[in-house]
Amino acid sequence: MNNRRESLIKLASAAVFLTIVAVAVLIVVSQSGSSGGDSENIIAVAEVERELQGIPQDEMVLGQPDAKVTLLEFADLQCPFCKGYAEEQLPQVIENQVSSGEAKLDYRTFTIIDASSIPAAEAAIAAGKQGRGWNYVEIFYRNQGQEGTDYVNDEFLTAIARAAKVPNIARWNSDRRSAAVKAEVESATAEAERLGFEGTPSFAIQGPGTQGLEALGHLESAGAIESAISSAR
Amino acid sequence: MKAPAEGTLRGIATFLATFGIGVATYITIADSGGGSPVCIAGGHGCQTVAESSYSHVLGVNIAAFGIVGYVVLLACALLRGDLARMTGFLISLVGFGYSVYLTYLELFKIEAICQWCVASAVLMTLLFAANATRMLAYVGKEP
Repeated sequence: MNNRRESLIKLASAAVFLTIVAVAVLIVVSQSGSSGGDSENIIAVAEVERELQGIPQDEMVLGQPDAKVTLLEFADLQCPFCKGYAEEQLPQVIENQVSSGEAKLDYRTFTIIDASSIPAAEAAIAAGKQGRGWNYVEIFYRNQGQEGTDYVNDEFLTAIARAAKVPNIARWNSDRRSAAVKAEVESATAEAERLGFEGTPSFAIQGPGTQGLEALGHLESAGAIESAISSAR
Repeated sequence: MKAPAEGTLRGIATFLATFGIGVATYITIADSGGGSPVCIAGGHGCQTVAESSYSHVLGVNIAAFGIVGYVVLLACALLRGDLARMTGFLISLVGFGYSVYLTYLELFKIEAICQWCVASAVLMTLLFAANATRMLAYVGKEP
């Protein structure tokens, strides 16, 4: 009887050991598996949907068309700092000042990371033609891959477009390859350079309280963005 | 320290497994209805978790596997003898290990917490404790 008890407890101990190993392996595999940039696993779609719900979008502009202040963000979809802004700082600004109609956000593509930044920017602008530009940008950031891993390919860009619920994917495909969209991307980057920006994200603002379009450059926090908007009113 | 009577442990396991069947069934039904479980305390964690790619394995909602696990654990709690003791221990061990993994995914990969999943993880942890105590104290002994 005691022998049987001993061997069953040994069996149980072995099972505990195997389970610990299995959990450790699963965790390690999941870590190496997807660190963003995975077109098979687009995340945070619902979160973005909620963030932008009920706010008008026209091309790459988010907010009420008659908002007095326009905040321009020059950003690169591949830039990890821009991703940080999209996740940490901008939601507060969108919730407080954009949904209230005080300001609108104009997303400008400033393609500085590498050549892949250009097709990414074109894809976002093409989504903007169908009123889903901001969903595209925000979902892209939340699924951003590691720089230099070539995750920005047609498959990934299309997966983001579907997740952003771009209504007409065929139209989006032809728009993003069009000369007009290409020119938009080029002129946005040229404008950023003209404003003296060297990094992303950089901001500029225009409102009744500013002298035309004023370059703000880098803004440290959501609070800094909010006070820039307030003083431009 | 003296272990509780086996009947007490089996009673606890019966209660926990029944609860577990309820929780896992709710999650499965909420998912198959095209929606996602509603978070009682507010927030959107459940929707985020349910929409993540981790919520299904081979196209099957993992909560469905949970129902099967809890049903087997209920059967083990109701039955006497070493087979029930060992099976209960092993299944709750696997369930507990998987719950640890899922909680890790929620915290660090999906970055959202769903109360229903937490409820299941707590139930599975308690079931593992009850089954491990039962197995260690009584396995190899007469029922």
